[in-house]
Amino acid sequence: MDILSFLRESTGRFGPVGHEQAIAQWLKERFAPLCDEVFIDAMSNVIAVQKPTAPSAGKPPVVMLCAHMDEIALMVTAILEDGSLRIRQVGGVDPAILPASTVTVHTDTGELFGVIGAKPPHLLSAEDRKHNVKFEDLYVDLGLSPEAAAQRVHVGDLVTMQGEPLELLNGKVASKTLDDRSCIAAMLLAAERLQKLSHTAQVVFCCSVQEEVGGYGARVAAYTAAPDIGFILDVTHAAYPGAKPDTTVPPDAPAATMGPFIQTKLMERLKNVAKENGIKMNVELAGRNTYTDTDDIQIARGGIPCVLVGVPLNYMHTTVELGDVNAVAETGRLAAAFAAAVEEGWDTDLWI
Amino acid sequence: MEGLSGREEAVRRAVMEICEGKLGKAAVKLDGTGSVIAVRPAKNPALPRVMLAAHMDEVGLLVLSATEEGLLRFTGSGGIDPRVLISKRVKVGYGEDGIPGVIGSPPIHLQSGDDGNTAPKIENLSINIGAKDKAEAESKAPIGTPVTFATPYTPFGDGYVCAKALDDRVGVYNLLRLLDAPYDGELTLAFTSQEEVGLRGAMAAGFIVQPDIGIALEGTTANDLGETPDALKVCEPGKGPCVSFMDNSSMADRGLFRLMLEAGKAEGIDHQIKKFIAGGNDAGAIQRAGAGAKVVVLSVPCRNIHSPSSVCCLRDVDNQYLLAQATLARLMKG
Repeated sequence: MDILSFLRESTGRFGPVGHEQAIAQWLKERFAPLCDEVFIDAMSNVIAVQKPTAPSAGKPPVVMLCAHMDEIALMVTAILEDGSLRIRQVGGVDPAILPASTVTVHTDTGELFGVIGAKPPHLLSAEDRKHNVKFEDLYVDLGLSPEAAAQRVHVGDLVTMQGEPLELLNGKVASKTLDDRSCIAAMLLAAERLQKLSHTAQVVFCCSVQEEVGGYGARVAAYTAAPDIGFILDVTHAAYPGAKPDTTVPPDAPAATMGPFIQTKLMERLKNVAKENGIKMNVELAGRNTYTDTDDIQIARGGIPCVLVGVPLNYMHTTVELGDVNAVAETGRLAAAFAAAVEEGWDTDLWI
Repeated sequence: MEGLSGREEAVRRAVMEICEGKLGKAAVKLDGTGSVIAVRPAKNPALPRVMLAAHMDEVGLLVLSATEEGLLRFTGSGGIDPRVLISKRVKVGYGEDGIPGVIGSPPIHLQSGDDGNTAPKIENLSINIGAKDKAEAESKAPIGTPVTFATPYTPFGDGYVCAKALDDRVGVYNLLRLLDAPYDGELTLAFTSQEEVGLRGAMAAGFIVQPDIGIALEGTTANDLGETPDALKVCEPGKGPCVSFMDNSSMADRGLFRLMLEAGKAEGIDHQIKKFIAGGNDAGAIQRAGAGAKVVVLSVPCRNIHSPSSVCCLRDVDNQYLLAQATLARLMKG
C-alpha cells in the first residue's frame, strides 16, 4: 500500500466524532481483502480479524491493534440574519487556526463551501491585535443570501475543515486529519505484512470511533474483541522550537509511550522487537493519562495490558498536521513485528 | 500568479503581453518602479486626460532566515494580521521553482497559561517546508524569497469566489477589459507596482502621466458578516462596487464622485458608497503627483482582505467594469 495515496484518499473523508458511519464502511472495504472477517459494531467501530497462521496448543492469544478513525470538526450553532453561520468545536479545535480557513458545511441537501471570516487588518484595534480569536467572534461565509443560507443549513449541521495532503521535502507530508488516519495507514500496512508472516496470535484490527471526545468507541470494541494485549496506534507531538522539555519526540521515527497505563514487560518486549527488526523507536513518558484509546482499552473487561506507539506530528489538530511518511511505514512494520512475536506463554511472569 | 510588492514580474509580463497585443508595442511603457503604463492617444484633445490605475502587487511574506531545525522565519510584505497565518499553506518561491510549505502553531494540547488567548507575533511563526536543517532550508529558500498564499481559486455560493490576491487582481482584470473602452480623450491605463508597501508605483506613474483625472480600480475591505454593526461594515459584497468619498490616502473630487454615482444610477449599475474611512490606495499618490489631479476610487468589496482567503462577488467585479466604462462615457459628454 502506498501511504501517500492512502492519505490522499482517506484524510478528506467525512468522519467527525460520532459520525463515522461512512468512513467505517470505506475502511471496512480496505481491511476486507487483508482479513478473514470484518464487521462494523453498534457504535460503528470497524473490527477486522486475521486468524492465527501458526498452530498453538491452547486458545491462541488475541492481540488487538487499534487506531481511531474519527476526526475533530465543527458544528453549526446559529444561522445569523446576514446568512453567515456561528460555529463551535466538536473535539479539540483551536479557534486560533480558523480565521481565513476554508471549510465544508455538510447539509441535508449536500455540501457547501465556506470561508471562515477574518476581520481585516485595516479595522483591527490595538486591543484586537493582542488577543486570539474566540469561537463567538468567528463566522462561516457561504456566499449565499440570508434566505438561501437559512433554507440550506440547519443548526447542528457538521462542518469539516479543508486541507488536502501536501508533499513537502524529505518525505514530510502536511494534511488535515493525519490524526489519526496516518495510524490507520500504519495499521493497514501491518495487516499486509502479517498476511505474509507466521503468527500464533489472532490479530484484531480496530478502527475506533469517538476517540476525540474520550475513547468511547475503543472501550466497546475491546469488550467485543476481548484481546489479551492491546497495541494502540495514535499520533504524538513532534519536536518544535520552543517546546517545553520532555513534551515532544523526534519527528522521524515511531515513539512508544511508557508510564503507569502501559504494561512494563510488554514495553520491554516492544523495545526488543524494535531492536531485533532494526526499527528506530523513541520513548516518551506519560505520568498518567495518555489521552488516547489506551486509557479506555487498558480498563476494558477485566483489564487489558497495553502498549502505545505513536506517529509524531507537528501542529496537531490543525489543517497542516505534519508527519513523516517513513515514520508511518516504520510504525506499521513495528506493529506487525510485535503482533507476530506474540506466542503461547507470552504472559509468563508478566506481572512479577 | 504570484506578485509581491517589488516582485511583480510575472504579473507584469502577462499584463504587458495583453496591452501590447491590443495597443501595439509603442503604446506600452515601464516607469522606474516597474509599473506598466499603456497610453491611448486622444482623438479629441479637448477631453480630460484620464488615468485608470490598478495595482499588480499582492500582500504576502518574505523569508528572513532559517532556524537550526530548518524552519523559515519571515516578515510580512504589506499589511498582514499574523492571526490569519496559522494553519495555512503557502508557496515558497515563484512559478515552477516554488515549493510548498505550511505555517503551523504549537498544538492546542501543549499550550499553557495565556497562550490560547494571546495573538501570535509574526516573529514567532515559521514556515515548514520539510527541510532537515538550516543549510537545506537556506539553499531552498534564501533570504528575500517571496512567499505567497497557496489558496486555490474557488467559486462558491451564489456567484462568489474565494482566492488570494483579489486585492487587486480584480482591478487589474477590469483595467485589461478597459483597454478598448469607448473614450475619445487621452486614456492611460496604469498597472502599478508596490501599492501594498506605500503606493510607491503610483507615485512614479502619476508623475509621468500627470493626468487631469485619476480613477483607481481597487479591492477594498468588506466587514459585513458575523453580526457586525452597520457602522463598521464598510461595504457589502453583492451590492455593487464601492465609490469612496475619502479614505486614508485621498479625498475624492466632489464633482467626480457625484458624476460616478450619477452614471451608476442612470445606467442601472449596482453600486454603493464606502461607509468607513479606512485603507489607502493609488488614488492618494495620483492625486498629489506633480501638479495634482482630481481622483476617485471605485473598489470591489472583499471580505477577509489581505488574508489567504479573500472573498468577493463576481457580479461586483463586472459592475466595477461597467461603472468605470459608464463614468468614461459621462466624461466624454462633458
